Amino acid sequence: MNIGEIENFEKVFFQLQGLHTEIGLLSKGKPNDALNKFKLKLINQVLADANKILGERYKPFPDFYIFDEDELPTNSDVTFIISQYLGCMENLRVDNIEYNRQWMGKKNAATWYWKDTEIITHPPLNIKK
Amino acid sequence: MAIIRPRLNDFFELPFTQEEVSFAIPFLDEDIPLYIDPFLLWKSPSQQDYSLHKSVVDSFNSIGKQFLSSKEGDSINTLIFASECDEIGLGDSKTKTGKRIGESLAHEILKLFKDIPQIRESGFIHFEEIQFFVNNMGRDRISDITANLVKSFLIDFTIDQCIKLGIPNEPANVKVFDHRTHSFRDEEVTLPRNPYSKQPIILVPKRWLRHIPYINFEDYYDKQFVKDTDKLPSRVEVLDFNRQNYDIVQAYVQVKERQQADCKNDLLFSQIPVKSAKGKLNTILKLPTGKTDNADRKYEDNLSQLLASLLYPHFDFAKEQSRTDSGTLIRDLIFYNNRSYPFLKDIYDEYNCRQIVVEMKNVAKLEREHINQLYRYLGEQFGRFGIIFTRNNPPKNIIQNTIDLWSSKRNCILILTDEDLAFMCEVFESKNRNPIDVIKSKYIKFTQVLPS
Repeated sequence: MNIGEIENFEKVFFQLQGLHTEIGLLSKGKPNDALNKFKLKLINQVLADANKILGERYKPFPDFYIFDEDELPTNSDVTFIISQYLGCMENLRVDNIEYNRQWMGKKNAATWYWKDTEIITHPPLNIKK
Repeated sequence: MAIIRPRLNDFFELPFTQEEVSFAIPFLDEDIPLYIDPFLLWKSPSQQDYSLHKSVVDSFNSIGKQFLSSKEGDSINTLIFASECDEIGLGDSKTKTGKRIGESLAHEILKLFKDIPQIRESGFIHFEEIQFFVNNMGRDRISDITANLVKSFLIDFTIDQCIKLGIPNEPANVKVFDHRTHSFRDEEVTLPRNPYSKQPIILVPKRWLRHIPYINFEDYYDKQFVKDTDKLPSRVEVLDFNRQNYDIVQAYVQVKERQQADCKNDLLFSQIPVKSAKGKLNTILKLPTGKTDNADRKYEDNLSQLLASLLYPHFDFAKEQSRTDSGTLIRDLIFYNNRSYPFLKDIYDEYNCRQIVVEMKNVAKLEREHINQLYRYLGEQFGRFGIIFTRNNPPKNIIQNTIDLWSSKRNCILILTDEDLAFMCEVFESKNRNPIDVIKSKYIKFTQVLPS
C-alpha cells in the first residue's frame, strides 16, 4: 500500500470504528428500530469507501455492497455489518504491516510499520465484535 | 369505478391529503360529521375571522330587528332560508340534503327579540345562545345559519382553493345574504359541483369546525344551571327559565369567553399518541389466534385504530366495513390513496390502486381461501393492490399463491404479520422512518421473488 492508500485506509477505518460505537449504542437500546435516512446515507458512503479499499478479496460478503434504504435496515443489522467490515479491514491491515525489533532499554520491543514505509501503526488487534 | 366513501379530490383524481389542505375535503355521498362553530370565528386571532363573526351576528340581529319592525313575514322567510346550507355538506346527513326549519320555529326564534329585553335592546353577541331559549335548535342549525350568513366569503375561499389545487369549477347560481337588504339574493358564481348530485360545493376552513359548539346547551345545563336535586327539570322548563333569566345565560357566556383558550377546532382525524399505539400493539401481541373470547373482534378493533394512526396522514382513513364472502364475515379497512408518498404513487400507477384495502385475519395460519377472498374483492372496484394483516408468517405455499396471482393477474397481495406491525410501531415511536416504509420494504421483498 502506498502512502495515499494508507491514509485513506486509516480514515475509513476510524470512521467505521466511530460508526460502530455510535450505532452500537443505538442498537443496545433499540435493536429493532430502523435507522433514519440521513445516518444511513452517511454509513453507505463509508461502506462504499471501505468496499473500494477491501476489494473482492477482503470484502466480508460477496453479495453485500451497501444498505438499501428501502429495505429499512435496523440498528442491529447495521451494527452487525459494520463489525464485519471492521474485522475485514483489520485483516487487510495485518497483511500489510510488519514489525521491527529493537532494544529499548532492557527489553526487546517491536515497533509496527506499514510495509515498505516508515509509517508507524499499532500491532494487530482482536477486534471486539 | 366506484370507490368507498368518495371525496371531491378522489373523483377528480387530485392527489392532496386532508392534512395538506386548509379546508375539510367534502364527501360526495354523505356529510362531514363536523359543524361550523361561530365561537371559533369570534376567538380567532385573525382579524378577518373576527370581522366575519361580527358580520354574522350583525346580520342575525338585523333579521331580528326586521322582525320587530313591520316586516315580520320577510324576516321569518329569511331565517327559514338561512337554516339550511346544503352546499357546505356538514352534519350527520347520509343523503346530503337537509330540511329547513318550520315557520313556527323561525317565529319562536325571532320572538326572542321581543320577549327578552336585553336582546331587544342590544341584540345577541353570540347568536348560538338561541339554543338556550328555543327547543330543536341543534348544532347543525347554528352551523348552517353561520354558513349562510358568511357564504359570500366562503364562495371566495372556495374559488381561491379551486384555483390553487386545480379543482374543476363551473357556473352556479347560489343565494347569498345581502347585508344591505337583509335578505338572500341570487348570485352567479363559479363553484365545484358534486358529480353525483350536481349540487354546487362550498368549501369550509378546517379552523372553523368542531363536533359540538363551544357554547352548547348540555355544557350550560351541567355547569351553570342550578338544579333541584329532587326533581330534574325538563329541557323545555330550562328553556323557559332561561328566557326569564337572561342574565344567567349571559354570565355563562362570559365565563366561556374568559375560557376561550380551551376552545379548539376538531380535526377530522387525530392520531393516537405513541403510548396508546404501544398499548394497542401489546394487546394485539397477547391475543390468541382464532375466535376464543372474541379475540378476532379485539384484534380487528385494535388493529384498525392502530393502523389508521400509524399510516396517517399519507393514508387517509376512509372507512371500516364488514362484508360476507362465502358465508364468512370479513372486516376490512379502506384507505384513500392520495399518492402523497412516492410508494403510494407507484402502486397507483402500477396497480390502479385508488383505495387500499387492508384485510385483518386473526388466524394462526393463513390459508389459500383468505388470499382468494381478498383477490375477489379487489377485482370489483379498488384496483389490484391489497394488504392482509395476520398473526404469523405465512406458509410457503401461500407466498407462492400470491406470486402466482401476480404472475397471472398482476394483482399484488402483501402479507404483513405481527412482526411487521411491531416494526411499524417502533418507527412510529422513534420517527426515524415512516411506517409506510415498512409496507414499501415488504413490497420490494415481494417484487424480488417475482419471476422476471
